[in-house]
Amino acid sequence: MSLELLNTIVTRRRFLQATAAAGAAAGFGLQRTAELVPASAQAAVPAPKTTIVKNVCHQCPARCGIDVHVTDGRVHAIYGSLESPISNGKLCPKGYLGAYILYDPDRFRGPMKRTNPRKGRDEDPKFVPISWDEALQTVADRLNALRAKGESHRFALVYGRGWGASDAGLFRPFARLYGSPNVGLGHSSICADASKKAKLLQTGYYDYNAYDYAHTNYLLIFGASFLEAYRPYNYNLQVWGEMRSKSPRTRITAVDVHWNTTLAGADRALLIKPGTDGALALAIAHVILTEGLWDRNFVGDFKDGVNRFKRGEAALRAEDFEEKWVKGLVEWWNLELKDRTPQWAERVTSIPARDIVAVARELATTKPAIALFERGATAHTNGVYNGLAIHALNALIGSMFAEGGLLHHMGVPYGKLPANWEDYLDDYAKSDERRKPRIDGAGTEFLMASNQIQAIASNHLAGKPYKLDTILFYMTAPIYSQPEPRKWEEALQTMFVIDTSPFPSENAMMADLVLPDHTYLERLQTAEIYPFQGWPMATLRVPAVKPLYDTKVFGDVLIEIGKRIKGPMGEYYRKLDSTENIIRHLAKGFEENPGTNGVNGFESWKEKGCWYRKPYPWRQVRGEFYEWDGSGYNRRMTQEEVKAKLLKTPSGKFELRAGYVQDNEKYASYIEKQLGIARERVGFPQWVEPKFFGGGDLHFISPKVPLQAEGRAANLPHAIAISQPVLGGKKTVYLEIHPETAKRRGIRDGDRVRVRSEAGSIEAIARYFPGVRPDVVVLPNLHGHWAWGRWAKNRLPTGSASEVIVNRSEPISGLAAYYATKVFVEKV
Amino acid sequence: MPKWGMVIDLEKCTGCQACTVACGMENSRLPGENWQDVVFFTEGEYPSVQVKWFPRPCMHCENPSCVHVCPTRATYKTEEGFVLVDWNKCIGCKYCMIACPYGVRFYTDEKPLNPPDPRKVFRSGDAHSWNPPWKAPQEDWKHGVGIQPRGVVSKCTFCYHRVSKAPKGVADLSEHDPRTRDYTPACVVACPPTARYFGDLDNPESEVSKLIANKRGVRLLDHLGNKPQVYYLAGEGGAVPSNRAIKNS
Repeated sequence: MSLELLNTIVTRRRFLQATAAAGAAAGFGLQRTAELVPASAQAAVPAPKTTIVKNVCHQCPARCGIDVHVTDGRVHAIYGSLESPISNGKLCPKGYLGAYILYDPDRFRGPMKRTNPRKGRDEDPKFVPISWDEALQTVADRLNALRAKGESHRFALVYGRGWGASDAGLFRPFARLYGSPNVGLGHSSICADASKKAKLLQTGYYDYNAYDYAHTNYLLIFGASFLEAYRPYNYNLQVWGEMRSKSPRTRITAVDVHWNTTLAGADRALLIKPGTDGALALAIAHVILTEGLWDRNFVGDFKDGVNRFKRGEAALRAEDFEEKWVKGLVEWWNLELKDRTPQWAERVTSIPARDIVAVARELATTKPAIALFERGATAHTNGVYNGLAIHALNALIGSMFAEGGLLHHMGVPYGKLPANWEDYLDDYAKSDERRKPRIDGAGTEFLMASNQIQAIASNHLAGKPYKLDTILFYMTAPIYSQPEPRKWEEALQTMFVIDTSPFPSENAMMADLVLPDHTYLERLQTAEIYPFQGWPMATLRVPAVKPLYDTKVFGDVLIEIGKRIKGPMGEYYRKLDSTENIIRHLAKGFEENPGTNGVNGFESWKEKGCWYRKPYPWRQVRGEFYEWDGSGYNRRMTQEEVKAKLLKTPSGKFELRAGYVQDNEKYASYIEKQLGIARERVGFPQWVEPKFFGGGDLHFISPKVPLQAEGRAANLPHAIAISQPVLGGKKTVYLEIHPETAKRRGIRDGDRVRVRSEAGSIEAIARYFPGVRPDVVVLPNLHGHWAWGRWAKNRLPTGSASEVIVNRSEPISGLAAYYATKVFVEKV
Repeated sequence: MPKWGMVIDLEKCTGCQACTVACGMENSRLPGENWQDVVFFTEGEYPSVQVKWFPRPCMHCENPSCVHVCPTRATYKTEEGFVLVDWNKCIGCKYCMIACPYGVRFYTDEKPLNPPDPRKVFRSGDAHSWNPPWKAPQEDWKHGVGIQPRGVVSKCTFCYHRVSKAPKGVADLSEHDPRTRDYTPACVVACPPTARYFGDLDNPESEVSKLIANKRGVRLLDHLGNKPQVYYLAGEGGAVPSNRAIKNS
């Protein structure tokens, strides 16, 4: 390049720059403070003001408070809110994607109806825009017609990520007033119901725990992807920094089936055979008892202080042991634990006995400590029993309600709604005819499950117990996310389908009617926090910008449909009026219960973005429970108070013999029938062989990864570009396969492979990864869309990981056994 | 006059990439144009494998190779320690990209990582290379801030548009202090485990100076003599890839 040419280029660029700077100054100049105006634009233009609006991140359930930076009506930055006790000014990587979601060019821009009656992957729905009035009236007409025929149960409202009182909170009244058991069928059975169920059995608490990580000194993690996805991810990352730099440093052991960032960051990584986490936990318990390491303050002791827990020795007498806050320890030992030696567990789990002994000693002698588990351990056919075995460790080490241990979560003292729905039930809604079984089989076929969302499609197709007529989806997309999703594609061809997502997902492609929601930065919406630090917290989404398009917040869509239902139901919804009215009524509860941050009503709630009330009122200290008296944990609680407020089991104790199932004939015989466990021992944590399906020879695991965003990052090129499940995938997501496993199948690093089970097959690029067990392949459920927008579509893998997952469930909780499929992997 | 520098504690770093995404948002980057990348790598084999990661911003070297080679003096070093690109002068010859030992520079007109090209979806009607609706309001081509024109090289500015406005004389720019939060680089503000620290390397009282002294701060590829102003703390939890290559010189 000659010097002359070079000069020309520079000159041209200078010219362009001058033009551009003027444009910039006029169009979108600056921001934070007037001082920040760049030199080039400083002189002439007044700095446009940046406002900060409080909202709540939407990309996982955690409910992190966010500061949305808006300049000239445009969102350009999102940071964690300093006022939010969960964000503390920080966010996980997903949090910063919010503006891309708002401005996604493939968003639906208003209500639409389908004009192509044929449905399928290759059918263009030929959506045409309609008015909101027509859209809502279409739904109401269908619903009124079903009700007139006595078939209101054939309307289902199926939802995923509910946020709280102003969306999911509306479902129960709607279900009862309208008269359908299928309104508000949730997705908890593809989420984490097995861990909740285990906790219900042992502590009477049907929810996730809160954990006092900041004060714990030992963390034993079973399959929870703590540094990738476990909620609240943002806070986990924050507290990881604290745990790993405080004195004493929190030691961490992590159990999983492949190396991920959690295992890499831990002090000890244990790669376990899939589905055997319960065996590991039982062996840890065995060591804790035989070595006399249990927490005597919480658990109790042998009356004469002599440890009779000797390997293989049964027939201990329960009356020789004085139990404090646990129930059934000696029975458990006699029935199960005596034989669960580390050597036995090594054969089951493949984890060396010496490691098991070391972990048991560390866990029981480092105080406080926490045993934590989630889907890795529970998304198997034996998931609840794995959970019971792991959670029992928290009793043995005395970490329940201790500082640095586990807590239960408290509800929010909201104000009353403008109307009481029970006053608006008509004779139709009250009649016995309306007590129909649910389409998903929860409570019937799945006797003990809360939900069974993954059974809806096949039950509908089989007419078991009847066929649905109309289905409305909110915040869930089963065609992508559920096992055997093609069943849903088939089922939705035979129903009138209403989708409410703002995004053109696979589900929406099957819709007859699209009623698009706002994206979260446009919404006014409540979101009560997930279990976090125990104390109650209610967060609020405040619209950062006016809705970009002709969309409507889902809560208002439901209320508007309700208003159009004939009879007293319509009257109830006219009283509710709108979600904003509901939220203003809820906020009245804060007048009597002002938050720790001074929030005492709607306006201050909007300003701060959250209401919370610290401290957590209860603590267990060396085997005694205390209540906060305003200055400290000083008021000792009686056994009755502990039972009423914390350990809500039949005995008021942590039940190693779970009365919830052991003393319930129906449940006990159900479990006996489903899992082949003798009914006299159903209530005890025990080893239950996991079952595997699909016919293949390699375990197929689809973990969650940091950029996954519950699927909401599907069409974001920024998220796609850095989706980095361990090995990096800037365009795709790789199938992690051990090099030896791959070589035996003639697969080279980077080959395109077919992953096949009896349920289906998809193709992906194989990546050699020496950190995955040789009997396991790993493929996060990421990418592989055939809809969802221009960036989401048509990238490898050829389908969602769900397509090869056999639709089988853990029988007690109904949790989809996501990790119970075995596949074949072969070169394409 | 401060000499701004960064300390990254690898023991606390979780490899979450919040820094990468926040940087992209704050600086209106294209997908994959990761001014602040996190590089993942593995060593060993099951059951004793090591999975590691390494967060890598521009090192804002005291002795920057890129500045030495730039034919138009578009790349320059400021008195406060920033290494910046003046987009009015850059001719996109990429010589700096070859000279930089840390691989932290980006040419604007690369092929899109995942089509369709966001520059065509959010097309610019003027000299900017694209015009996304979420673009940040700040623009300062002399310091390589904002959406760049076509045909230039871009890089991490240490968030010049924030840091350069910091109150005079402060030793530390901490995101936890509301008084300095707005002047702190986006990746530091974003880092959930607080693995990043930013401050004045010339001030012995600054947190960064103390961390480097107390926790044995090291620099990436130190033997090359570039003298980065980004230091790493390896602690027990992380490894600086270059450590094995360090030679006594």
